Amino acid sequence: MVAFRSHESAGRSSGLLLRSVLYALLALGLIVLDKRYDQLGKIRRALSVVAYPLELGVASPFRGWAWLRQSITTRDTLRAENARLRAKLLDERFRLQRYAALQAENAELRGLRTSTAGVGARPLVADIMDVDIDAFRERVLVDKGAAEGVRVGQAVLDAHGVFGQVESVGERTCDVLMLSDATSAIPVMINRTGLRTIAVGTGDLGRLKLPYLPTTADVAKGDLLVTSGLGGVYPEGYPVGTVVDVKIDTVRSLADVDVRTAAKLDSSRELLILRATPRPPAPTATATAPAAGASSPRPAKPAKHR
Amino acid sequence: MNRDRPVRRMPMLLSALVALTLAIVPLPDVIDPLRPDFLVLVVYYWSIEAPSAGGLTLAFAAGLAIDVARGVVLGEHALALTLTAAWAMHLRLRIRVFSIPKQALTIFGLLAIYQFILFWVDGATGYPVTDWSRWLEPFVGAAIWPLIVATLRRLHER
Repeated sequence: MVAFRSHESAGRSSGLLLRSVLYALLALGLIVLDKRYDQLGKIRRALSVVAYPLELGVASPFRGWAWLRQSITTRDTLRAENARLRAKLLDERFRLQRYAALQAENAELRGLRTSTAGVGARPLVADIMDVDIDAFRERVLVDKGAAEGVRVGQAVLDAHGVFGQVESVGERTCDVLMLSDATSAIPVMINRTGLRTIAVGTGDLGRLKLPYLPTTADVAKGDLLVTSGLGGVYPEGYPVGTVVDVKIDTVRSLADVDVRTAAKLDSSRELLILRATPRPPAPTATATAPAAGASSPRPAKPAKHR
Repeated sequence: MNRDRPVRRMPMLLSALVALTLAIVPLPDVIDPLRPDFLVLVVYYWSIEAPSAGGLTLAFAAGLAIDVARGVVLGEHALALTLTAAWAMHLRLRIRVFSIPKQALTIFGLLAIYQFILFWVDGATGYPVTDWSRWLEPFVGAAIWPLIVATLRRLHER
């Protein structure tokens, strides 16, 4: 890969060559082990323990600043905020009453269909840490890890909808892959029509696309997408996003559908990690599933787009 | 051998730690792609100026640290950094006598190879590349190289 010509100090050069080849082989071995055989979870976790103090050190000034700002807000601001929250609570309670009734009705209907129920997940509240992982990949570092029961593949929500899934877990932190990452795919259902498909990340924050819909599919601007529960990662019925644009190109057989995520990927601070992974849906529900490999922990990403 | 300056590991470790911290401090989204790879530049500096202080072990460990911090496949940055640092080490006697602009040009080349190896590993491990902004890194790195040299030389020669 790198050519070394022998040079003024031949002895040292060959030593350098030998060592660099050794290290390169070691690195290649790591890549293969990690990618192909998924064997490095323990090593990664051990290394993340070492990295934790550093991450905490970087994040703590921001936390301290937030705390400081909170503790010096004036009484008036607090009072206003209190009033606002009270009003909001009342409003939410009102909605919740309706929700309880709906849930009961839903359970009844499901019982009739003898289908599986939704998840009985106990969500874990987590904060995004102010640590920049990578400018080019859509991931965030979250302050809960294996010690709190987080596992790879668990679904992550924010207050508005599905946020992503846990990609790797450290002892006290975990990496969450956002929905709009280019490697992310999520089985969805169009709420209006019940049409099932897969939403794929674009690598552009907050934008998804539906690459597998035929031009004849019934999809329109403003349609709400919810999780279909297929694939076994994301529980059923949570909002994923809304269709913002449908381009029908008559030459091609597939529609070009743009989706904006419901979750606020760029501004959410608090996340919910669903600790119980949902059971895979009953076979009756998967009969018409477009998702390949419903049993794999992450929805299989098809190799090529169209 | 005695053309290399005497070994002191503390400045090397200190600068690597600071660089790693700088690599994960949050920045606004607009300028985030313009963040230089501080740790990579620091590794190149020590490879050129004092290869016996850290050597390839430093390059490998720093690459692994970047892998862990970014949550990518383990070994990706380690591979790229080891190979380019080895090359820098091999050419160090020549690079040392270069003027700063010429050194920056060399660093640009090293960073371009570094990014290319990352690009290649990304492709080989099935991560689709959607962004062109990674190719800004060599430019940013070369532009900031004089600053890195000035800072580290002070630390190094004290």
